[in-house]
Amino acid sequence: MKDVHVDDLLVDHVRGDLDVAERDRVGAHLAVCAECRATRERFAALLTELARTVPAPPPIHWGAYRAELRERLARRRGQAGPVWRWLVQPAPALVAAALVVALVVAGLPGTPPGPGVPDPLALDNTILASRLDMIARLDVVQRLDLLEDFNVINELDQLPEPSKS
Amino acid sequence: MESSDEELCRAVAERTPGAFDLLVERYQERAYRIAWSIVRDPEEAKDCSQDAFIRLHEAAGSFAGQSKFSTWFYRILVNCCLDRQRRRRGWRRLVGWHDRRDDDPDEPDPVEQAPAPFADPADALDTERRMSRVWALVSELSPQQRAAVTLSCREGLATKDIAAVLNLSEATVRVHLHRALATLRRRLGDEA
Repeated sequence: MKDVHVDDLLVDHVRGDLDVAERDRVGAHLAVCAECRATRERFAALLTELARTVPAPPPIHWGAYRAELRERLARRRGQAGPVWRWLVQPAPALVAAALVVALVVAGLPGTPPGPGVPDPLALDNTILASRLDMIARLDVVQRLDLLEDFNVINELDQLPEPSKS
Repeated sequence: MESSDEELCRAVAERTPGAFDLLVERYQERAYRIAWSIVRDPEEAKDCSQDAFIRLHEAAGSFAGQSKFSTWFYRILVNCCLDRQRRRRGWRRLVGWHDRRDDDPDEPDPVEQAPAPFADPADALDTERRMSRVWALVSELSPQQRAAVTLSCREGLATKDIAAVLNLSEATVRVHLHRALATLRRRLGDEA
């Protein structure tokens, strides 16, 4: 019977990665097949060359790599999950829905503000009034940093002495 | 005593603080190196390896412990790399190539037939400096052959483990390795 070539087993034969039966079969074939012996020799030389000259990838900053990975992971966690998640977590969904309803009702035209709810316009006026004095003295406000520096310079003699070690 | 990879993976599944960071630190260099060997682009290799860690974080609970953690993780990683390459060349399938249903090496995968991804000439020059001629030729092999050669010659995985990582039979891995080495020999011979 003509012995069949064992091409596909030659790499594993070189690497010693065959079970006993396969190793014996390849060994027996190599003993009688010069062609496979030559191929095995070429593969062995090539594998040695590959192992000897393994290339290194371009360097990378591992701290930045991990920070980016953490950020990507956090982004994924932050993304909206599947719809069923709202069904198993009803409390946040209900609170959100109630807030939306309250805002819509409050924003409807002709709805009189409740007794405890402040008028938004009045609130704006109050904030504006509190700033009027500041706006009137804008030149002082603009130079505040500079004036603070002057104050420090004027009071240098009053600054506590640095502790001597 | 230092936790094993498998213990850490279970801790990640239970969301134990610090477990994921520890696994990342343990595997980041290998993951990036393997990804780079397959995709041949530092940015893509970084993205692929990070994708693999994210999948690990999400799927840690499905690690059954029947294989080594490294085999399981490499499989995720290589899938991330090959998926990216498939997406990149997805349009080619639309114009006539059929999907591959089995792992018969005589039915070539379109992805395998595709050349290595285009690289910027400047990057290529830098890469060339880093690589011997033989590894430069490895980068011209198909992604699956590249993966098999990398896992074999670089990471020292046995054929059985490479088969598990690539989700192929051992016989198919042997064919890939044989064809890869035969191609390299032929090309080196042509250059001589």
